[in-house]
Amino acid sequence: MISYFKRALSDFIRHRFLHGVCTATIALSVFIISAFTLFFVNAGALMNTWQKGIRVIAYLEPGVNQGARKALIQRIKAFDGVEDVVFISRQKAFSWLKKEIGRQSSLLEGLEDNPLPDSLEIKISRSALNVKDIEYLASRIKTFNAVNGVEYARKWLARFKGVYDLFRITGIILVTMVFIAIMFIVANTIRLILFSRREEIEITRIIGADEEFIRNPFYIEAAMLGFLGGITGITLLFISFALSMPTISPSGILPFFTIRFIPPAAGIAIVISSVIVSWMGCYFSIRRFLHM
Amino acid sequence: MDIKPDKHEKMETRASRKKKSVIGFFNVCKFYGESDAIVDVSFTISKDDFALITGPSGAGKSTVIRIIYMGETISSGSVIVDGMNLLRITRPQVPLLRRKIGVIFQDFKLIPSKTVFGNVALVLEAAGVRSKNIIHDKVMSVLETVGIGDRAASYPPTLSGGEQQRVAVARAMVGEPKIILADEPTASLDPEAADAIYQLLQDVHARGTTVVVTTHDLNLLEKGGTRVIHLKSGRMVSIVNQDVWNGL
Repeated sequence: MISYFKRALSDFIRHRFLHGVCTATIALSVFIISAFTLFFVNAGALMNTWQKGIRVIAYLEPGVNQGARKALIQRIKAFDGVEDVVFISRQKAFSWLKKEIGRQSSLLEGLEDNPLPDSLEIKISRSALNVKDIEYLASRIKTFNAVNGVEYARKWLARFKGVYDLFRITGIILVTMVFIAIMFIVANTIRLILFSRREEIEITRIIGADEEFIRNPFYIEAAMLGFLGGITGITLLFISFALSMPTISPSGILPFFTIRFIPPAAGIAIVISSVIVSWMGCYFSIRRFLHM
Repeated sequence: MDIKPDKHEKMETRASRKKKSVIGFFNVCKFYGESDAIVDVSFTISKDDFALITGPSGAGKSTVIRIIYMGETISSGSVIVDGMNLLRITRPQVPLLRRKIGVIFQDFKLIPSKTVFGNVALVLEAAGVRSKNIIHDKVMSVLETVGIGDRAASYPPTLSGGEQQRVAVARAMVGEPKIILADEPTASLDPEAADAIYQLLQDVHARGTTVVVTTHDLNLLEKGGTRVIHLKSGRMVSIVNQDVWNGL
């Protein structure tokens, strides 16, 4: 195996321009894939953060007594996906409002009566955190007589989820296409090398070399191309990320969320995929060109 | 020099037929589409033979050589090389057959990006020899034998034709094959270099290797071998022992 590595390395150096161009192209492709991964990792985390804060607020009809309220809370708690139900009295809600509007709280002083209703804050369990489940839950709660109305960030959540899903499908298609492109790039590079060395390969066969002896260095070369391209692509993304982060994060675009680089496991998976796809490109090229 | 095959096939002595043959062609035909390269060729070459295959250009000499090392497959007939029936040989067995054979070409077929040492060492590497010391000793020994030990670090394009052919001979010899096939080995060399190469082949033969040389050079034919196979337009015209050939 060491001798195969040596031959592959010497060939890599001999065809350095061709290999260099191929590595750069793979690096660019891996850069695109990694950038998509970076987006999905952070968009997913961001959505998770937002979803954690989602609460369904059920506003109660005026004059619901304590007994009816307790019974309502028990019934709501019995629903799947409800983690907790907290009663917020109209007085408490009014004091929170005053606190939140701060200096402008004097505006509320003119009010003769507290306009806010009693309400129930329904905390959704994480397992039920999807738009359809929340919609269903809200529609069920709305049917109770004691409930005047239900409110939650429905439209906004659905819109974000829709955009995220669209990006995810686009991303999967794009990543697949980029990987196929890597396979073609490596296949063509190896084909060019095989073509330039066809006489040498023929001589090697005549002197008694078996197929493994001939093809293994090419497989190693392809794996090296995939590995170098993968590492270079991710390194380029990291440099771009490190340089652009100071301009994104502290500017206040997303003050409550820290954008993170792709996790090491995802980075390793991308590099391994790049190696495998390059190897496959070489495999197809060798099968066609060397009839192995 | 047209000779009727019937008459001269009889010239083969009984003794030579009894010798163990390492190469046997039996009614071999090779067609390329409509045209025939060789038709109904039959002969045997024994272990201690230095066989010369002769005939004009297009006679099928190179095709015979290519068939022996399985550079070509036959259209019909059968070929036995060192006990292996080439019709029944499996793909993984082809390299094993080729390791029994050293091949020398008219155009040398050296790898220009490898040094002389590298070209010769490749045979041992391909045969699975891992020890660097063994490879070094064997390669240097064979390079010394062919008289180019001092050019081990040179690249083929920097060598003369005669030197390149010596490297090709060294490459054919280094794996200690049972058979050496030389396809017009002296055709692109000056007479002096041609003599030297021919002498090298005779030395190899003297060490017990079966040598098969294709040539249309009459001078070479006179220098000797043990038998001469004469082809013309893909058909075998005669197969005679060298002494008989020289007497014709």
